[in-house]
Amino acid sequence: MKKIYITMFALSACFFSGCADDYLDVDQTESISTTDIELFNNDAGATTFVTSIYSKFLDWDMTSFGWIGLSSITSDDADKGSSPGDTGTDKDVLDALTYNASNPSVESTFNANYDGINRCNQALNIIPKLDKADANLRARLLGEAKFLRAFMYFTLVKAYGGVPIVDHLPNPTSEEDKIMLLTRKTAAEVYAFIESDLNDAIAVLPNKSVYSADEKARASKGAAHALLAKVNLYQKNWQKVVDNCNLVTGYSIVPDYAAMFRLSGENGDESIFEINGVGSVPAKGIQGYSASQGARGAGGWGWGFNTPSQSLVNAYEVGDVRKNATIIFRGTTLYDGRVVPVTVENERYNFKAYSSAFTDGWETDVNIKYLRYAEVLLMKAEALNELNQTPAAILLLNQIRNRAGLANTTAVSQGDVKTAIWKERRVEMAFEHDRFFDLVRTGQAAAAFAVDGKTFTVGKNELFPIPDSFIRQAAGLSSQNSGYN
Amino acid sequence: MRNIIFSFLALILLPAYMSGQVIKGKVLDKDGIGIPGAMIVAADSKTSTDTDFDGNFSINAKVGEVLKISMVGFDALSVPATAAPMSINLQESKDTELKEVVIIGYGTRKKIDNTTAITSLKAEEISKTKVLNASQAIQGKAAGVQVISSDLPGSTPSVIIRGLGTALGGRTPLYVVDGMPTDNINNINTNDITSYEILKDASSLAIYGTRAANGVIIITTKKGKGDKVLVEFESFAGFRKPLRTVKMAGSEAYARYSNAALNNTTFSENQPVNTNWLDAITRTGSYTQNNASISGSTESVKYFFSIGNYEEKAILNGLDYSRFTFRNNNEYKISKKLTLNQNFSFTSANSSPKPLGAFTNAYKQSPIVPVRFASGQYGVSFVDANGVANTSGSSFNNVGNPVAQLDFYDEEQRSISLQGGLKLDYDILKSLKFTSQFNGEYYSWKQYNFDDTRTIDIAGDPSPGNTLPTNINELTKGREQYFNWNLSNYLTYNKVFNEIHDVELTAGIETSVKGAREKLTIRRKNVNANSNYWSLAGVDNVANVISYRDEVFNETRLASYFGRFQYKLMDRYLITGTIRRDGSSNFAKDYRWGTFPAFGLGWVITKEEFMANATGIDLLKLRGGWGRLGNQTVPLNNQAYASGLTSYLGGSILNEGTTVNSQVDPSLSWEITEETSVGLDFELLNKRLKGSFDVYEKNTTNVILNVRPYPTSGIVVATPGHVGEVSNKGYEIALRWDDKLTDNLSYWVGGNYSKNINKLSGLKDFDISPIIGGNLGNGQDTKLLNSTSVGQPLGSFYIYEFAGIDPANGKMLYYNASGAKVTQDALSATNDKKYAGSILPKSNYGVTVGLNYKNIDFSVDGYGTGGAKVYNGKKAQRFTGENIEQSLATDFWSVSNTNASNPAPFNQVPVASTYYLESGDFFRVNNITLGYKVPMKENQFLSYCRIYMNAINPFITQKFSGFSPELNGDGNPYGNQGIELDAYPTLRSFVIGANLKF
Repeated sequence: MKKIYITMFALSACFFSGCADDYLDVDQTESISTTDIELFNNDAGATTFVTSIYSKFLDWDMTSFGWIGLSSITSDDADKGSSPGDTGTDKDVLDALTYNASNPSVESTFNANYDGINRCNQALNIIPKLDKADANLRARLLGEAKFLRAFMYFTLVKAYGGVPIVDHLPNPTSEEDKIMLLTRKTAAEVYAFIESDLNDAIAVLPNKSVYSADEKARASKGAAHALLAKVNLYQKNWQKVVDNCNLVTGYSIVPDYAAMFRLSGENGDESIFEINGVGSVPAKGIQGYSASQGARGAGGWGWGFNTPSQSLVNAYEVGDVRKNATIIFRGTTLYDGRVVPVTVENERYNFKAYSSAFTDGWETDVNIKYLRYAEVLLMKAEALNELNQTPAAILLLNQIRNRAGLANTTAVSQGDVKTAIWKERRVEMAFEHDRFFDLVRTGQAAAAFAVDGKTFTVGKNELFPIPDSFIRQAAGLSSQNSGYN
Repeated sequence: MRNIIFSFLALILLPAYMSGQVIKGKVLDKDGIGIPGAMIVAADSKTSTDTDFDGNFSINAKVGEVLKISMVGFDALSVPATAAPMSINLQESKDTELKEVVIIGYGTRKKIDNTTAITSLKAEEISKTKVLNASQAIQGKAAGVQVISSDLPGSTPSVIIRGLGTALGGRTPLYVVDGMPTDNINNINTNDITSYEILKDASSLAIYGTRAANGVIIITTKKGKGDKVLVEFESFAGFRKPLRTVKMAGSEAYARYSNAALNNTTFSENQPVNTNWLDAITRTGSYTQNNASISGSTESVKYFFSIGNYEEKAILNGLDYSRFTFRNNNEYKISKKLTLNQNFSFTSANSSPKPLGAFTNAYKQSPIVPVRFASGQYGVSFVDANGVANTSGSSFNNVGNPVAQLDFYDEEQRSISLQGGLKLDYDILKSLKFTSQFNGEYYSWKQYNFDDTRTIDIAGDPSPGNTLPTNINELTKGREQYFNWNLSNYLTYNKVFNEIHDVELTAGIETSVKGAREKLTIRRKNVNANSNYWSLAGVDNVANVISYRDEVFNETRLASYFGRFQYKLMDRYLITGTIRRDGSSNFAKDYRWGTFPAFGLGWVITKEEFMANATGIDLLKLRGGWGRLGNQTVPLNNQAYASGLTSYLGGSILNEGTTVNSQVDPSLSWEITEETSVGLDFELLNKRLKGSFDVYEKNTTNVILNVRPYPTSGIVVATPGHVGEVSNKGYEIALRWDDKLTDNLSYWVGGNYSKNINKLSGLKDFDISPIIGGNLGNGQDTKLLNSTSVGQPLGSFYIYEFAGIDPANGKMLYYNASGAKVTQDALSATNDKKYAGSILPKSNYGVTVGLNYKNIDFSVDGYGTGGAKVYNGKKAQRFTGENIEQSLATDFWSVSNTNASNPAPFNQVPVASTYYLESGDFFRVNNITLGYKVPMKENQFLSYCRIYMNAINPFITQKFSGFSPELNGDGNPYGNQGIELDAYPTLRSFVIGANLKF
């Protein structure tokens, strides 16, 4: 006993002699300290910083319920769906275009994209320091990060207009960086930033064919050109649209439209950039994407949101194979033999969110095809038409129509061809999160929503509100979009 | 013990023993009963003795010589010796309380000499209310101490001492149990506690340095005493029901309301089923506790053994809790100079938790849904073409069947706590003592949760077309453990110089280590249906593992030096000074050491000459002090890579990857609180009226707020920073009147009142990002702390102001910033919300009355709070198709009832507004005790028997329309504290029990 006490006393006396400070140095165990960067100084370590960016696209807040509400339920292609009383928190107001600045979907989408942008900035900051990783790999990874950053800024500028450009890791104590974080830039500045990132990405990214079979979902040179074409389409830089579309090479439209949206069609010849989910254990898919849009009620498997509208059904011409590939109709049998009983709650559901193998899973094998070669052809057609090369545009448009089982377009005049291309975009890319922004871009929104029975307020609904929480934090550095208070 | 000392004295005085003659006598108290152990000293003869068990003595002295008779608890007396047998009556000392001691950090102090604000509660106060955790029992008994408790078995009450000084740092006081600093006292059997001392002001707290800012509660457990072996038993049993429930609409009212909301006749108004879901998920709770203890002392050992067993069947179906405790405290007198104290406790707790969400679901699920359909299938919220609930049809709400929820929830938890320590006191010199104390605490916890996935799915939808879940079932197993230890060494020097200068010095060093908490969580699928086959030997489960988490949380260490100086001049002028220096491993190297000084002054006015003749005033003491305290339980500040679970070096695109999503402030350190406090203690009218009055002002100058980073930074982990200032100003009054009317009848009336004004007094004007909290789970937040919150109390609600119902259409209206009444679509989230009060009460009060008449004791304790707001979250969360309160169902706006007090039925999620905010004021009778001591003959085997009845929380008056206005929630003022959502109701309990002594 005495010995123990002597030891203890000696131990505590130790404080006086100055070893107390070392005694207080405790290694952290619950998380990896950022001082241990050397752990990541190898190929796999470098790669993992970019993996986290892709991973962000599988998050609930980034790509799922809120984003579905913002990009799809708002549009004339889709209705809220589900039970009349189930608002899905805010999907009713999104459907009715009556959302305000504290709308949860508006906020989560904004925050999620900046979460992703931080991951890009972290990768862009850390990877150059990882000198033991392969130099070519590092260059490619930086290109991927820039592509993904551009992709997210494009989402932001489409949805919110000009937003703060965060092009480096902010220092928490820097006033200058605080201003950067809180000050909205103009949409033109954001577009310029996106283009600059994409040009950097184009310089270093490989073609899709270079990636191994299980890495096809990574950003490629073709994806960067396709995105740059789309960014230019939104700015009506028609020649640049054509130029970039021409540089998207090595892709083709696949003959079977419907198969493209099944597991077998993932990352196929037409696919340029898609968000990749895996349903088998360990599942890593878009959280709740299939479940929130699955058929609701007895015999169903999901919550039944984001249902195809009558307006969309009417948009398909007779014989268009894309209708049954896009829409699940109640009371029908699906390609995999699943019977969708008449007891489910809504008449129609989104087929493109359906997973055959993991139907009611939270994370399934459903992918989102954000860039397809079909869209490249349609963008090129639209740009050529604007550049007065209408016959060339018609040829491209017909490629898309013929694949869908439709005859050549009857449109001839430049104006009719423009309308025909816009309409083709709608049916070709329905439920691929493009329609709302496309309506705004082409100026068709007010008319299209009127057909669908909704009021689109010109001068307001072109953009979503900046989240109120951000405006409050910005404390005068940024102002709200017009029409929202 | 006394005998030893006296024998020892007698030995010294032996040479003088031989002269004089033998004087005999008896020392009696005022009832004529002999006083054993009184000391008799004959000064001239230099002899002494003490009385025997019956009060008799004999001493060698001369007749006529003055005998001094003294005894603890009685006034000393001097009488001349007589040859005839003497009969000496001693008067009970009025000074008894003055000899009472209070426990201060690293020592004790006579209560009269204490300059600080300490509330001492004794064993009987704590064990009177039959609750599991001692802190719940002290509710309302100490001025300035707010206790927010829950009757959920095994839950930990929030204890707030003199106001909340922090929003996100640790809010719980530091508990020191027999020298062991700990966060939680759920493992302590209330019956083992001998004293519960609450250190309230900075002057008393500063000796605990960086851990003291939320107050310190020192708990001392029992020791053996007396020379007889004492065996005690206590046993009680009781039953419990919710104190107050909300009457929900029945089926027909529900159907009428929902049809109006949906604007069609979805539901038939003639319903075959009318389920009361609260009844369906609850039962009459019952609980029992049995304790036994053996204690005693010999010359060299004082011993105390106790065992206790607590069992509760909670009111929520299937929720059971039990706790077994064992304690052994021994004190060994090793030599004249060396004393060793050893204490040890073992606690094992078992529980089968059930989800409290069942209360919310029971509130919201429609009464038209049966618990089970005729087929045996659990009721589901489908409505068929006839407008009644059926196994298929249209789903009309998203609420699960709460009975099924409970039936299918299969979880068990077990924990074991071991606490123990050794304390060595060595008297180096007569006035210098060395104390060394080591304490350790080991905790181990294990849990399983079995999810019978497929069975649950089939129960919800037995139709053949139902796609079954991929996994048959899922099993989660958790294990957790930690070991914390504490070592302190200190010297205490105490000497009186020239009879008027009483000096005490304490100096020491201490280290506290909060060991790394280790946690293992494994989720498996498709396990054997029999639970005894879940862990087969030799089977590799890897193929069925869904997730495997092996976590070790950061260890924290504290190294400290402390010193205290206490000086008393002429028994009336008191000075105390303390200083502590703490270093904490939680903070970066340059920011880890801090110094915490304090001082206290006291003046015992009644000891002054000029007060000598003051009648009616027995004690008047003025005291005051200042001190600085720290709170090191603040969010940690280690910057980390956030990495995926599977493999942080994984290159595959399907891993989570690695990134940095946090940001640190390298200068982060503890929060600092400074407090100035003045108090007056008084005893008046022959000590029948006792009381104290305290005023304090407490400022926390660098409050850490979990600053939400700008969303554009993409930093998703909140960043702690020193950005706030919080002030607490208040006063406390405690009064108690005790009187004895006759020998058979005594009574008391007491009460305390404390007022505390809490406010966020400042925020740094840069970097301020709001904390938005009190989320209702439907997109609505109710609480806010940002730059506009300065001047508001912590935990303030920030919501829209309800402006009544539009008589034209029954819609709810709200005031916008310019004062106009608008509907919720027209509200501006930026401009139109207002502060609407806080979850923190402005005042707390407790009352106690009681009487003892012959063998009967009776007491009533009550507790109340004023000024707090509570949010009716269950009601506010209502979606279409969910049930409503009866009061709403019978009075809502319609074209024929345009003056209704409730709005027309609606489907939209209502914005958070004052419509759902209610007063949290309540007064509750916490405890009524009626006891009867069965008269016992002397020298019987059974020496004491008391039978009692207890009513806990029998009555409440409250303004809140929900279940309970006492809503601890997650204990976080910016979480769901003060919001009734998934909350366990307050219970009314009736208990009958007995205490026996042998």
